[in-house]
Amino acid sequence: MALAQTSALPPLAQPIISAVAIAYFAIVAAIGVWATRRTRTASDFFIAGQGIGLWTLAIASMAATLSGFAFIGGPGLVYSVGIGAVFIILPVSLTNSMGAWVLAKRMRLLAEVRDMITVPDAIGARYRSPLAQGLSAVAILIAVIGYMATNVLALGLVIDAIFGVGLVWGIWIGTVITLAYSVAGGILAGVYTDVFQGSLMALASVLVFVYVLESGDGLSGISRTILGADPGFLGPWGKLTPLAALSFFFVFGLGSLGQPHVVHKFYMLRDPRRLKWYPLVMTTALFVTLLLYVGVGLAVKALVAGGAMPALERPDDATPVFLLRFTPLLLAGLVFSGVAAAIMSTVNSFMSIGAAALMHDIPVALGRRVGNELFWGRISTVAISVVAALVAQASGTLVAFLGIFGWGLFASTLVPALAIGLNWQGATRAGAVSSIATGLVVTLVFETLGYLKVYTVPAGVSIAGVSLVASLLVFLGVSWLTRDGDGSVIDPDIKLVMEI
Amino acid sequence: MTRSIALGALVLSSLAVAAAYVAAIVSGSAPPWAVWALMIGTSTIMLAIMVLGAGRSGSGVGKLAVPFGAMFAVLLVGFGAVLVMPDESATSALWFGLPPRAAVVLYGIGVLPLFVLPIAYALTFDSLTLSEEDLERVRAARRKP
Repeated sequence: MALAQTSALPPLAQPIISAVAIAYFAIVAAIGVWATRRTRTASDFFIAGQGIGLWTLAIASMAATLSGFAFIGGPGLVYSVGIGAVFIILPVSLTNSMGAWVLAKRMRLLAEVRDMITVPDAIGARYRSPLAQGLSAVAILIAVIGYMATNVLALGLVIDAIFGVGLVWGIWIGTVITLAYSVAGGILAGVYTDVFQGSLMALASVLVFVYVLESGDGLSGISRTILGADPGFLGPWGKLTPLAALSFFFVFGLGSLGQPHVVHKFYMLRDPRRLKWYPLVMTTALFVTLLLYVGVGLAVKALVAGGAMPALERPDDATPVFLLRFTPLLLAGLVFSGVAAAIMSTVNSFMSIGAAALMHDIPVALGRRVGNELFWGRISTVAISVVAALVAQASGTLVAFLGIFGWGLFASTLVPALAIGLNWQGATRAGAVSSIATGLVVTLVFETLGYLKVYTVPAGVSIAGVSLVASLLVFLGVSWLTRDGDGSVIDPDIKLVMEI
Repeated sequence: MTRSIALGALVLSSLAVAAAYVAAIVSGSAPPWAVWALMIGTSTIMLAIMVLGAGRSGSGVGKLAVPFGAMFAVLLVGFGAVLVMPDESATSALWFGLPPRAAVVLYGIGVLPLFVLPIAYALTFDSLTLSEEDLERVRAARRKP
C-alpha cells in the first residue's frame, strides 16, 4: 500500500511530539548500528542471511506493506469518499493467505535449491531466461524510483511538520537517516527496524481506535450522525462508483502477489516450515494496524457532520487534526512517529530491491556478474536514494504521478510471470516475457497519456486494473500458443519446487 | 483435473474482467452488467489462483475445498447482496454499528475470511502444504544438482 502523502501536514512542532520522534529515531539508529555489525556478506545485505524467524518475517512484511498512506492519506480518503475508500484495504483478509498458498512456500523453497536473492532471480530460474529476469528488474527499478520519490516526499512532509525544518531539509534528513541504516546494515537492519516500526504502528493504531470510538459515542453513534447528514457516505461504495470500488478490490487484492518488497522477504525465513502460521500472524497484524485507517476517517466525518469540528481544509488533515484535538500529545507523538516508521520501512525495502535490481539482476541479464556484490549493493543503494530524493525535491504533480503507477507496474509485470508462473507448468518463457512487456507498456502509456491530459480513462476504470488484466491474458494466451517450444522446459530442481 | 479447472476458470474470469473494462472504456461509463462481471471475475480469479497455489501435482486441494468454497461464497454473496440491497437512509437499521450494506462489506468480506483462511492454512500445512519429507526432498535436489 505505497500510495503516499503528497500535500503538506499541519504544523506539529510541539515539545512532546518532537521528543517522541527523537526517541524513535534514536532507537532506529541503535538497531541500525547493531545490524551493521552483523552484515558481512551480500546474502546478509539482501536477504538477511536467510536467518529470520516467523514473527520477524510477518511484522516486517506488514511494515513494508503499509506506507504513510495507511495513516494519513487513507483516513483522508475515507473522510472524503466514505466506505468506498475501504476497498483498498478490504482484500487484506484474503491476500496474505492467498500469498502463502501461491508464493510463500515456492519462493522459500527456491532459495533452498538455488542461491536466490531477488524476485527477478526466481523469474529467471523459472523460465531459464535472463531476458525475463532483466525485464522484470527494469520494471522493478522504474516502479521503485517512483515509489521511493513519493515516500521520501511524504517523509519530508512529516519531518517538516514535527520539527519545522522546511520541506527540503525534511526530505534530505529523512533520506539520510533511512540511507544510513540501509547502506550499513542492508535488509538485515531493514527487517529489524521494520519489526520495531511495525509494532509501533500497530500499537498506535489500536490506541487511536479507542479514542475514535470514544469521540463518536461508539461506532453506532458515529454511523447515526453520518446517516443523518449524508446516508450515501456509508453506502457500500461511498462516493465512488461500484466499478471504481471493485477496481480497488481487484488491483489491491490480486496485485498484492506482485509486490517485490514483500514477496522477496520469503527468502529470508530461517525455517520454511515456520510458514505455517505466517498468514494468521501477518493478517492479524495488518488488520489491527489498519483500524486507524477506517476509524479516523469515519470519526472525523461524524464530528464534522455533528458540528463538533469545522470541515477540513484538506482531507489529508483528518489524522493530524483528530490526534491534536482528541488524543493525548504523547499518543499523537507515537502516531506521527508511526507515520515516519511506516514510510521509512517501505523506503528501506525499496532501497534494497532497487539496489539488487541494479547491481544483480540487470548485470545477470546482460551476461555479467558484479564482483563485490556487498560493496556495489551499498553504492547502488546510495545512488537510487539520491535520485529518488532529487525527484521528490522537484515535487509537483510529477511525484504523485510517479507514485500512482508504482503499484500497478509491480502488479502487471510480476503477478502473471511470478505468481501464476510458479504454479502452472504450462507457462512458457515467451508468455512471461510478453506479459512483463505488456504490463510495462500498458501502464506507462496509459499513465503518461493521462498525465499529459491526452487521454483519460473513464471514471471508475483503473489503469492498474487494465494493465493487470491485459498482462494476465497475454501471459495465458502466449503461453498456450508456445506450449510446445523450447521455452516450456523447466529445470528439474525448479520443477520439483513447483510440484511440492 | 482440479488444476485444469482452476486454469480454465482463471482464463474465463480474466476475460470477464477485461470485458468489464473494455465496455466501460468504449461506452464512457460502466454498463450495469460490467459491475457484475468485475465482481464475479475478481472473486473467481482469486479462487482460481488459490487453487493453483494449494493444489499439488497429481492431486486436488483436498480438505481445502471447504474453506475455498466458503471464501468464494462469501465474496459472491457479499458483493451480490450489496448490489441488490436497498440504499441507506437516515433511519437505516444498524448491524454491529454499521448500516446493513456497509456491514456486509466490512464484516463479511473484510473480516470473516480472516477467521477462515489463515486457520485453514495452518491446520492443513503439514498434510497439504509442506511436510518434513517434502523439505528433505527439496534439500536433496540441491545436493544433487
